[in-house]
Amino acid sequence: MMSFMGHQPQSQAVGYTFSQPTNAPNKEHSFYPYTDNGGSTLGITGADFAILAGDTRSVAGYNINSRYAPKVFKIGGDDDTGEGAHIILSVVGFAADGQALKERLDAVVKMYKYQHGKPMSVRACAQRLSTILYQKRFFPYYVHAILAGLDEEGKGALYSYDPVGSYEREQCRAAGSAASLIMPFLDNQVNFKNQYIPSSGDGHALEPKKPEPLPRETVEQLVRDAFTSAVERHIEVGDGLQMMVITQNGIEEIYTPLKKD
Amino acid sequence: MNHYPEVWGRPRDDIYGPYNSSYLQTTGPKTHTQSPAVTGTSVIAVKFNGGVAIAADNLASYGSLARFTDVKRLRVFGDSAVVGFSGDVSDMQYIDRLLESLDIRENYSTHGNMMNAKNLHTYLSKVLYKRRSEFNPLWNHILVAGFDEDKKPFLSSADLLGTTYSAPHLATGFGAHLAIPILRRLFPEEKPLEEISKGEAEAALRECLKVLWYRDARSLDKYSIAVITAEGVEIKEDQVIEAQSWAFAESIRGYGAQVN
Amino acid sequence: MDKLVAQYSRPAHQNEMYSEQEQHDLTESLPPLSLKFNLPPVDNSRSWLRAMTDDHSNPSCPIKLAHGTTTLAFRFQGGIIVATDSRATAGNWIASQTVKKVIPVSRLSRGEDKANNAPTPGLLGTMAGGAADCQYWLRYLSQQCTLHEIRHKRRITVAAASKILANLTYAYKGYGLSMGTMLAGMTPQEGPALYYIDSDGTRLPGNLFCVGSGQTFAYGVLDANYRYDLTEEEALELGRRSILAAMHRDAYSGGFINLYHVKEEGWVHHGFDDMNPIFWKTKLEKGEFSNVTSEL
Repeated sequence: MMSFMGHQPQSQAVGYTFSQPTNAPNKEHSFYPYTDNGGSTLGITGADFAILAGDTRSVAGYNINSRYAPKVFKIGGDDDTGEGAHIILSVVGFAADGQALKERLDAVVKMYKYQHGKPMSVRACAQRLSTILYQKRFFPYYVHAILAGLDEEGKGALYSYDPVGSYEREQCRAAGSAASLIMPFLDNQVNFKNQYIPSSGDGHALEPKKPEPLPRETVEQLVRDAFTSAVERHIEVGDGLQMMVITQNGIEEIYTPLKKD
Repeated sequence: MNHYPEVWGRPRDDIYGPYNSSYLQTTGPKTHTQSPAVTGTSVIAVKFNGGVAIAADNLASYGSLARFTDVKRLRVFGDSAVVGFSGDVSDMQYIDRLLESLDIRENYSTHGNMMNAKNLHTYLSKVLYKRRSEFNPLWNHILVAGFDEDKKPFLSSADLLGTTYSAPHLATGFGAHLAIPILRRLFPEEKPLEEISKGEAEAALRECLKVLWYRDARSLDKYSIAVITAEGVEIKEDQVIEAQSWAFAESIRGYGAQVN
Repeated sequence: MDKLVAQYSRPAHQNEMYSEQEQHDLTESLPPLSLKFNLPPVDNSRSWLRAMTDDHSNPSCPIKLAHGTTTLAFRFQGGIIVATDSRATAGNWIASQTVKKVIPVSRLSRGEDKANNAPTPGLLGTMAGGAADCQYWLRYLSQQCTLHEIRHKRRITVAAASKILANLTYAYKGYGLSMGTMLAGMTPQEGPALYYIDSDGTRLPGNLFCVGSGQTFAYGVLDANYRYDLTEEEALELGRRSILAAMHRDAYSGGFINLYHVKEEGWVHHGFDDMNPIFWKTKLEKGEFSNVTSEL
């Protein structure tokens, strides 16, 4: 297996072959089961809270399907309104997969509460969501999920996922079509990437600014700024901003309008 | 798995066969089991004060052939819900049978059929999503109109992929391009529902169908319209587009043999 | 007659609901890490999956999975050094710069690093290729190792653990998994042991491995300076320097240098450090990387 490393490294098609080279495969004009409903989501944590936000536009191609299609959901609440939930989930990508994923996680968190008599911890829920996504490793959910809640110490916890369930706890994360517009902004404003303490030295001696948890007002404003900027530069983002803030006192939902063009 | 550094971790052609991009194409030769044959075009619907109005024309096309001109694409479910179908007609009839048996089952239960439009929409979207996950979709785009559990007007859509969305006015097919802008202008989303009367909503739908008849080549001037209010469903199935004016056609330039 | 009746009494529609079993599976809150996977209902599911996810053959494929990149591990007289970068890419997009590509595999060592510097008993696994594949299967392996410990009242050997993983990847060969992982550990039976396992089902014991798209760059530095009798400091520095070289030359590697040392008593974490200051230190103080200019 290692031996072919030396041959023709530039070619992808040529390699050590175990079988005869295959010809072009039979064309199978099968049904394409995905679509991209666009939009973007974003999550930031602080010392005692976590915020998940998403725009409310739903698109299909260049059509706007709806101007109010929420992407952030309460997980494990008592009824339809999600009252009593302590975990929030945002999904962006293919909306039907997102809906299926949300309902599945919701059912799991509820069953956990009934079976164990206590709410599921965010850590456990994060792990569980990872396995749910991986169960569909070979027919993936076409979604980027972000999960948020408060950890055992009451600190904000945020977990981000790829479509097949690799996950990581982070301070902030943007997902969806405008992720590439928002994420660099968050790197700079939340994790203070490429920010240095003024007059701490010259050239390479400059001391980088250390990231620290931000207060809630600052974070809310960052979220709003991130989205108003994304709306200016991405056609699939707009209409409304749905924000959920999770704190010791529960979940607060805030809706702010965005540009509708 | 490929071990060349620049493609590290990716599938190797000699094991997986060449990359087959045909899975990603949505156009191409038709396979009749998996794409629609006889189809219906747009369904349009709008919410108003105290109810929802929904309309669809009576045409089932076979490609560009106007094959059946008397196909009713609105279906009443229970006493306050209407489903409008666009897309494949055979799948529409299948869903119709499905709803029929659901209705019978509900009516035989002790509580009677208590399913409202919202429940119905949830049910249909699950059916559609399950079928798309089996790669055997029901080739329809559906609008469900009626009331939710709080007796508020309800209007929502579900398509062959199981995608659902809701808005004060919805349209499928060509209607999404032609009718939605008209409806959004007549009834801006800022305008409270209370200011839209039943008459206005109905008239708007008729107007939209007229525009569709002018411009959608797969449409018909005969249509069905249903108005759902607290009193029940009022469905009119043999409507004709009135006051047509083709004067605008005179001014159209640039098609066919006539270039200037 | 029965046939005739059956023909005309066919139900008007098929069952469109989920079966009892399916419904149960959907809501089970604590399932085992199972080997049951949904496959796409097409003739050639592996080809289908590739069409959706192979970001190299088709840079605009719809689903871009997070991939991890340069990892290395080598044995020396003082144990095993494990070092990785921390970048995950999805196509050309850097999905994360803070991925933990060294995953502790064993019940006792699960979770975060200890505050004190005492070694944590257990194995270490590394992650290259599909991030989700590595995370899931190393978690599965962790579960198996714990079960082994409970059943046999002693820690699993690295040889056995690596074989569990290799058998698994071999069973799933051709399905489209992508992982190149190394298992490092020290047990009384085997001493320091290092295995390479990949998604082809390959399992190799060895002294020194580099895995991932930056492997060649890491090998270059590592092979040139490797000796079995390196001191602990030298070995850690060599691991760090090899990863640094790969981060510098391989676009798909970067971020932070994650360093571990596996000793007899267990593993010790030697930092998760930003590569940038280390790079400039290496250049300015040791005069290496002369290809880069330091003038502004």
